[in-house]
Amino acid sequence: MTQANKGGQRQEIVFTGFGGQGIVLAGRILGKAAVIGDHRQSTLVQAYGPEARGGACSAQVIIADQAIHYPYVRRPDVLVCMSQAGFDKFIGQMKEGGTLLIDKDLVQPKGVSGDFFSIPSSRMAEELGRIMLANIIMLGFFTAVTGAVSVDAARDAVVKSVPKGTEEMNATAFNKGCDYGLAVLKGREKKASGKAGA
Amino acid sequence: MPCALNLMTDFNIILFMCNWGPHAAYQTLQDTAARIPDEIKMVRIPCAGRISKALLLRSFEMGAHGVALVGCHPGSCRYGTGSSNAQDHVEDARGILELLGLGKDRLRLATFLPDEPERLLSFLQDFTTEIREMGPSPIAPAGEKTLLIEGNNAIQEIVAAHDVYACQDCGKCSSACPLTLAGKPFSPRGIASEVIAGHIDAPAVQKDIWSCLTCGLCYDRCPSAVDFAGFIRDLRHYLATSGSNNHTAHGGFFQSLMRTMTSEDLQMRHWEWLPEDIQTDPDSKILFFGGCAPYFDIFFRTHLGVKTRDILVDSLRLLNFFDIHPALLMNERCCGHDLLWSGDRENFGKLAQLNVRALRDMGIEEVITACPECYRTLARDYPQQGVEPGFKVTHIFDLIEKEIDKGAISFKELGRKLTFQDPCRLSRFENRPDLPRKLIRRLNPVSFDEMPEHGTSAICCGNSAWVGCDAFSKALQVKRLRQAHGTGSDLLVTACPKCQIHLRCAMEDPFLGEELHMEMMDLASVLAKTIEWE
Repeated sequence: MTQANKGGQRQEIVFTGFGGQGIVLAGRILGKAAVIGDHRQSTLVQAYGPEARGGACSAQVIIADQAIHYPYVRRPDVLVCMSQAGFDKFIGQMKEGGTLLIDKDLVQPKGVSGDFFSIPSSRMAEELGRIMLANIIMLGFFTAVTGAVSVDAARDAVVKSVPKGTEEMNATAFNKGCDYGLAVLKGREKKASGKAGA
Repeated sequence: MPCALNLMTDFNIILFMCNWGPHAAYQTLQDTAARIPDEIKMVRIPCAGRISKALLLRSFEMGAHGVALVGCHPGSCRYGTGSSNAQDHVEDARGILELLGLGKDRLRLATFLPDEPERLLSFLQDFTTEIREMGPSPIAPAGEKTLLIEGNNAIQEIVAAHDVYACQDCGKCSSACPLTLAGKPFSPRGIASEVIAGHIDAPAVQKDIWSCLTCGLCYDRCPSAVDFAGFIRDLRHYLATSGSNNHTAHGGFFQSLMRTMTSEDLQMRHWEWLPEDIQTDPDSKILFFGGCAPYFDIFFRTHLGVKTRDILVDSLRLLNFFDIHPALLMNERCCGHDLLWSGDRENFGKLAQLNVRALRDMGIEEVITACPECYRTLARDYPQQGVEPGFKVTHIFDLIEKEIDKGAISFKELGRKLTFQDPCRLSRFENRPDLPRKLIRRLNPVSFDEMPEHGTSAICCGNSAWVGCDAFSKALQVKRLRQAHGTGSDLLVTACPKCQIHLRCAMEDPFLGEELHMEMMDLASVLAKTIEWE
C-alpha cells in the first residue's frame, strides 16, 4: 500500500495542475525535503512557459540515493494531479502499478481501472481560509501516502520555503493533508480486515 | 473500621417483615422462644411490596451488613401486587449491589405462609450464617448533615458570592424559566428577592429552592449575569446542612447510592458487564469515564426500560474505531454531580477525592467522557471545589470531531428524520451548542430539524440532580416532546443519559403516552452505528 522508502530505491514523481496552484513550489519543497532533511539526492525540472500562465503545469522530481544523471521524468512512479488537464496529459505516461494521487473535486480519473488516492485538497484549503494552501495540503497527503520523504523533513521544508509570516498556516495545512492521508491508509487497512464500521 | 468485630452481634441484619403472612410465623417463633439469631433486627411493615429500592439501598448505606425482605407467597398477598413488586425491587437492588461490589447475596427475598415458622427459622439462621461468612459490609455510613452553617452570615455570603444583589427585578428570568412557563407559580427573581430580604426560612421559599431545575436558562437571559443555578446550588447546600427536607425524587435512591460510594473500601464492579469485543488497555494513559448509566438501566428496568448503558458501549466502539483503546476504572465512582447539585457538598468532595486519587494512581493523563454532567463536574466543579484533577478532561464529541475532521470518514445513510435535545450542562453551562451539531451535520439522515427552542435556549428535559420532580416537570416534558413531534422528526437524538430517562418518563403517561412516544438515541450511538471508513 504505502510505497515505503526502501533504501537504494529511486522514485520519479510528477506533480501537475493549473499554473498558479503552486505545483512547482510543491515540487521544490519535495526535493528540498529529500536532500536537506533525508540526505538523499534529488532533481527538479519545472515546466513553465505558457503553462505557468494558466494552462497545465508540471514539476518533475526524482529522488534517489545515488547521483541522478538524467533529470527528466518519462515514466513517473507517482503522479499527483490537481487539474483535469494535467491528469489527461500525464496519465498515459504513468508507470504500470504506479501510484496516482488526485484532488477529489477537480479531477475525474477517467479510464483508471486500478487503485488511486484522492483528497479534496482545494476544498480543505478553502475551509482553512486560503485556497493557496491546496498544494501544501496535497504535499502532506503525498508524504503520508507514499512515504517518499519523511514527514518531519517535508514539514521542515514547507516551513522554510513559504513566505515569512505564513509558516504556521502552511504547517497546519501540511498536517491536515498528512492526517487525511494517514486516515485513508488506516481506513483501507480496517476495511481489508473486514472492519469498516464501529 | 477501628473496632474489631469479635461479637457476633456487631453484625446488623435488617429483616423487613410483612405484617400479614410471615409475621404470624415469626410470632410463633417468638412464642416458642425459638433461636432467632441476635443479629436480626426486625422491622414490621404493612406489605413487602412497599419497600422500595431506595429503602433497601438506604439500609446498606446506613450500615446494614445484610437485608432480608420477607413477604407473602405470590397469590397470597393481601393487596394483590405486593409479592411481584417486592420481587422486582429486590431483583433490581441486587443488580445494583452487584455493580457496587457489595455482592447481590447480601440482599434476599423470601416468602412464607403463616404456618411455616420452621422454614422461616431455618431461612433466618442460614442467612445469618452466610452474612457472617461474608464478613462486614465495606460501607462506612457517610451521614448526610454533618456541618451546620451559621445563620444569616452564610446566606449573605452566598448572595454576595453570586452577586445576586445585581438582580434588577426585571423578570427576564421568569419569562424564560421552563417551570414558570409550564404554569408553576415559581419565579427565580422572586426567590432572589425573598432570600435577600432574609426570608430563607419561609417554607414556600425553601420549596422553590428545591424545585429549581438548575437548567441555567435564567442565567443565559439575565442582563446582570446573576448565576442563578449556582446560587440555588449553594442555597441547597445551606438548607441541607440546616436540616431542611430536600425533596428528593425516587425516594432518595440516587443520593443514597452516591453516598454509599463514598466508602473507601468498596471494590466495585462498574464495568463487569462490558461486551467482550470492546478493546481496552489497562496501561493506557487515556481513560474512559463512563458515569452512572449501568445503575440507571437496572433501576429503571421495569418501568422505563431505558438502555443508557448503550451510550457507554457505543462510545467505546467509536474510540476503538479510531484505534483508541482506553483504560477503564473498575472502581469508578459517581462523579458526584447530583450530590453537589442537591446540597451534599461534603459527600461530593469525598467522591471527587476518591475518583481523582484512583485516576492518579493509574497515571491517567486524559479522561474522556460521554456524559455532559461528568464532563462539567470533572472539568469545572472538581477544581472549583478544591480537588485538582491533574488530568485533562475531554468530552468524547470533541475527540470524535477532531478524528473525523482528519478525513476519510463517511456516514451510512440513516433513514430517519432527526431532531436534537440539548443537554443543559454542555449546551448552556459550557456554552457549546455547536459541538453536537457539527457532528449531526456530518451524519447522513433524511433530515435534521431543530425544535423552536434549541441550543443555549433549549428547554430542560424536566429534572436535574434527582430533586423537586413534580407535575410541572411532567408538563414541561410534555411540551418539549410535542415540540419534538412538531418538527416532523421520528428520532429524538440526545446527548445525556438523564434526558433519555426523563423524557421517557413522560412517554409513560397513561393518557398522553401514545401521542408523545418517540424513539430516542444518544448521538454517540447514532455516530457509532453509521460511521465507516471511506
